[in-house]
Amino acid sequence: MKPLSRRLSSPKRHLPLKTPLQRAHRRDHTLSALWDLGCGGSPASAPARRQRSFSVRLGLAGVAIWAATWIWPAGVLAQDTPDYFRQNCMNCHTIGGGRLTGPDLKDVTQRKDRAWLVNFMVNPKAVIDSGDAYARKILEESRNVPMPTLPGLNKDRAERLLDLIEAESKLPESQFKGLQISQEPFTDADRQRGRAIFLGHVRLEAGGAACISCHTMHDTPALGGGRLGPDLTNVFERLKGRKSISAWLMAPGTETMLPIFKNHPIRAAEIHALTAYFEASASESPAEPAADRVTFLLTGLAGAVALVFGLDAIWKHRFHSVRRTLVDQASMRGRR
Amino acid sequence: MDKNFLDQFLFVALPYVCLFTFFLMTVYRYRMQSFSYSSLSSQFLENKHHFWAVVPFHYGILVITAGHLIAFLIPRQILLWNSHPLRLYVLEIAALAFGLLTLIGLVGVIVRRFSNSKIRCVTTPTDWLLFGMLMLQTAGGIAVALFHPWGSSWFATNLAPYLWSIFKLNPDIMFVAAMPALVRFHIVFAFLTIGFFPFTRLVHVLVIPNPYLWRKPQVVRWYGRRPSVERNQR
Repeated sequence: MKPLSRRLSSPKRHLPLKTPLQRAHRRDHTLSALWDLGCGGSPASAPARRQRSFSVRLGLAGVAIWAATWIWPAGVLAQDTPDYFRQNCMNCHTIGGGRLTGPDLKDVTQRKDRAWLVNFMVNPKAVIDSGDAYARKILEESRNVPMPTLPGLNKDRAERLLDLIEAESKLPESQFKGLQISQEPFTDADRQRGRAIFLGHVRLEAGGAACISCHTMHDTPALGGGRLGPDLTNVFERLKGRKSISAWLMAPGTETMLPIFKNHPIRAAEIHALTAYFEASASESPAEPAADRVTFLLTGLAGAVALVFGLDAIWKHRFHSVRRTLVDQASMRGRR
Repeated sequence: MDKNFLDQFLFVALPYVCLFTFFLMTVYRYRMQSFSYSSLSSQFLENKHHFWAVVPFHYGILVITAGHLIAFLIPRQILLWNSHPLRLYVLEIAALAFGLLTLIGLVGVIVRRFSNSKIRCVTTPTDWLLFGMLMLQTAGGIAVALFHPWGSSWFATNLAPYLWSIFKLNPDIMFVAAMPALVRFHIVFAFLTIGFFPFTRLVHVLVIPNPYLWRKPQVVRWYGRRPSVERNQR
């Protein structure tokens, strides 16, 4: 391609442009020249300046959208404090309802000073990593599930949350007491219902994803369950019994599960059924993932091979015969 | 490096940089170099291996991309479909089969471009970089499907809300922060590929004449006469 200066000073440039097609062609050449300029060409002409003005407008639009990304979350921060507690804290804490994954927050401001609490709430990981003894104790009591860094939780919001906790702690029964789980003995019906919930046959009432999406059990059929999370065959023993597994299901506290179930909590009756299923499988051996994985891979591979031959059967007349026949005919003519 | 800072960079800053680059540079290139919007087909240079490379690759990647898009747009319906294990398995096996089809096609594309000298001449360093990225992304996706099943379900529960949070300009990285390394790699590479898109031959996706997918065969013929024919006629 010729340099920009030569192209713009070319004699062709001064010829009258008769048709719209010619004009469009000339414009495209000018644009190509400008593209070259961006890569280190010569000074710009009037059309080039017009195009640069377009680039500036495009850039400004980009900056405006970028600015909006910082303005938008400001609206989210204006969320009500009780609503914020309900959506972000109740997964792991109650106020007067007993421990879940995290401790019961009733009278927490009497157990520890506010400055420490605010600091911990805003950046729990930093406090834990600093080796703070109280933070380490909380972590151990929470089965080593660390408190996540919550979106929009700054010092001001932490202070308002502590005010709310203080006020709720003084009430005979807080609105944040949490779910109360049945202590009734498990039945066969509970265990069957728990398995159906695990597999997804019975949908979780609040719309959460079925357990099979990420977990497997010893008796999950065919290709087994998901492997994003751990095998749950022996989870009843791992979490040390009915009370703590119920508390876990009430407020799944891992960073992967928390955002899923934050807005789709598992109901008390569903927790009862799932716990019954987990208790029944406690003595079984976990599923073997390698066999399921090989079966899955081979089935997928068979499908891919079938697709390749299927596409060949569908398209061979287009991609093989037509052009190949033409080329062969041309070759034959050449020999004659 | 602090993990929180790294997560903010990988799952907030990088996606926006890549998406803005994609939108702005795609428009910019279309305005500046309309005629460069092409896949720069090499079909006329080599046609024997072409079928076994390009057809599996295109049909594979189209179905896989459409699947990701559908799970992003209607996650609740995907979860509803997956609520029966048999349907979940059918969906996952089909997705894996198309993923492997993409990989087979992509390997074919790379081998064809590497082994044929004429095709190698028209392959730029950008093309090689793009093939490398697509290879890593496809292999990564298959590894995710094999080692962290069932992606169709957890994509609907975790990744769809994360992607929506990006598009709503209120990014929530909580959905992806604790994901396994393979999944995080797949997400980051997807954004890098989107950011690289406007600088590559991939732009032809935006101007593809869609009837090509189902139209009847067309015969392409040379218009001029060969010199030997002209000599004989004289």
